[in-house]
This record gives sequence, structure tokens and C-alpha cells, in this order.
Amino acid sequence: MRGFLPRSAQSARIISTSMNANISSARAIRIVWRTYASTTNTTKPAFETPHSQTHQVPHLPETHIKSFGTSKVMAGPQDVPGAAVNPYKDGPSALDKAMTSFLFTELIRGLWIVLEQFFRPPYTIMYPFEKGPLSPRFRGEHALRRYPNGEERCIACKLCEAICPAQAITIESEARQDGSRRTTRYDIDMTKCIYCGFCQEACPVDAIVETQNQEFSTETREELLYNKEKLLANGDRAEAEIAANLHSEHVYR
Amino acid sequence: MVSLTRTVRNFWRVGFREWWRQLQYIGDAKSGRLVGTDYFGNRYYENLNAEEEIPGRHRWVDFAQHEYNATQIPPEWHSWISHIRKDPPTEDGVMAKMTPPWKAPYYENLTGTRGAYRPYNTVARKIHAWRPVTAPRENSAHGS
Repeated sequence: MRGFLPRSAQSARIISTSMNANISSARAIRIVWRTYASTTNTTKPAFETPHSQTHQVPHLPETHIKSFGTSKVMAGPQDVPGAAVNPYKDGPSALDKAMTSFLFTELIRGLWIVLEQFFRPPYTIMYPFEKGPLSPRFRGEHALRRYPNGEERCIACKLCEAICPAQAITIESEARQDGSRRTTRYDIDMTKCIYCGFCQEACPVDAIVETQNQEFSTETREELLYNKEKLLANGDRAEAEIAANLHSEHVYR
Repeated sequence: MVSLTRTVRNFWRVGFREWWRQLQYIGDAKSGRLVGTDYFGNRYYENLNAEEEIPGRHRWVDFAQHEYNATQIPPEWHSWISHIRKDPPTEDGVMAKMTPPWKAPYYENLTGTRGAYRPYNTVARKIHAWRPVTAPRENSAHGS
């Protein structure tokens, strides 16, 4: 029987590593300890006696294994872990767990889940035809907006240029013939832009906005160096969407 | 790929011709309500029955062009198919009210074609190269 002991400890480790993650090795060892104690009938440890309050949760399984192996110091009732509270009295038995481990029922259950999914409608969003949800606050491609009468909004205050953490915006301004100050250059390097949205938050007139368009990928790098005409054209095309999204968000701004 | 009952049901609803077209493009048999058509001819569908379409896949588009592209959807319908707005632009009062009269016609992402955007300078040149033009002398011609 003494030769059986280390093997039982090893099998306890095998069970503990192959069982679920929430069953610790200490608990698995206690299972083996219970089966061993019930079969030998020698110096049966008193599981039924109330445990001392020193070991509420057994956290040192290695010491108990050592006491098994040497057998000089048999585990007394105060050292038996889990004597006061048996967490396995309602759960599956050690035999059930061993069958679960050694008969690979997890694999069969996993394969069954895969087979169930085969007969269910797929979750895959077929992208160009179906699209995932976007927020009205989504920060995509930039655009310069106009007032409803067609006047461009940007007054060249350069707040967006100042706040841009990537320094992607370049602005030059001149006075127009009617005396109003407008930008002559509004360049955004979209390869520098990190889409933080600071520019549209800094803008006092809601001129620079980030539209909900995320499909502006290009084949060459230079196509991402936007100038003012390109930004105004973006705004002219998507003004209805931009304005509707700003309208839906105006109660939070 | 698909569940069998769903495929058979949608095939029964849309008919062979539409089902075959869907298999060529979407790759899945879908059936729903025709919500609207934009001015490119793209048709937009919706099926709000969660038993029939997985939520998240309940809005889809049938592109008019064979060479379809995600950017062929105009912005109003883009905000509908991206689930940003609840109502399609044909029924959305806010969207109709926000549409300005100077709205430019939409075109798709033209990268890789001759219509692709190429950056250029929008500012008049401030630094000019030296031009070797001599100014004519004024009072040296007949003075001496």
C-alpha cells in the first residue's frame, strides 16, 4: 500500500491538470485522499469531526503529499483539509471527473457545439452588403462644412491646428475681398492624423468635422494629403449625414 | 454556411432568380422588405424579424453595379445601413430637413482610377524663383 501512495498522488496531479481550471490541485488531491482513506480503513481520519479554525481553506497541498509519502507523521484530524466543509458533497464524484477526463468528453461536447452552429443562421456580417453598427459620433474622414446659405464656415482661427496632437493640419489665411478672413490653405495630412477628434471639438463654428465615412482608403500615399478643396467637397457631399448626426447629438454637447 | 430551413424559406420567398443573384453577390439567401432605392439604383432591404435574420444582419444592400464597392452607398443611406439612424432617408424627417440645396452629387471612392484625387496647392506662390529679366535703364540712353 505504501507503493501505491505516490502513484495516487501522481494521478491526483494528472486529474487536477486535466480537469477544469477552477478545480485546484489541492482539491483534487483531497479527492484522492478521500478515496484512499475510505479503502484502507486504517487510521481513518475523522472527517466528521469539526475542523480546527487554523486551516479553513487548504492552500498547501505539498505538505500533505509529503506526509503521505513518509507516513511517519500521519495527517491528524486538525491537518486534514476540508474536514469541516466538504465542497464536493453536492458535486460529481471523483469517478465521474476521471471519466470526464479520460474519455475526452470535452472534445465530444465541443464538437457537438460546432455541429449545432452548423445548423444555425450565421452571424457573419457580409461586409460590403451588410455593415456593422457605427456611432453618430464616429470619427472618420474629415470634412469642412458650410453654413446653410452656402458660405464656408471656417474662419481660420487655427484652433484645430493648435490642438492637433499629430500636427497634421496646416492653415494659411488671408482676408477675402469682402474683408472676411478665410483660409487659403487648409491641409490635413491624413497619414499623420490619429482621428482623436480634437479638431472638431476645438472648432468654434463646427467647420471641421469628422464624418462617419471610414471607407476612404487609397492606393497611393499622396491621395491622403487632403487640401481645402477636397475637404470642402467631402462636406458638400455628406452634409445631410453630418448635420443629422450633429442634430442627434446636440442635446449632449 | 447557412441553416437549411432558412435557406429554403428565403428561396421560397424571393424566387429562383433573386436567390441566384443573392448567391452570386451576398453569398447568402436573404429575404426582407424593400426599404428604398437610391439614385444609383442600389436597393436596400430590411428584415426586423429576429427569428429570421440575426440582429446586426437585418439591413443589407443589393448593389446595382457588378463591380460593387462599399463606397457606392451615398451618405444618407450609409448612415442608415451603418445603423447610425433608425429611419431610412426616405422617411427621415431630420435628414430631409438637414439636406441643403447646394448638396453635391455623391461619387464613390475613385482611388486607383483616373478620377482619383491628387493633392495640389491651394495657395498662390509666395516665393518666386529669380527670373533673369533686366529692367530697362531710364536716363542713360541719351544723357551722355
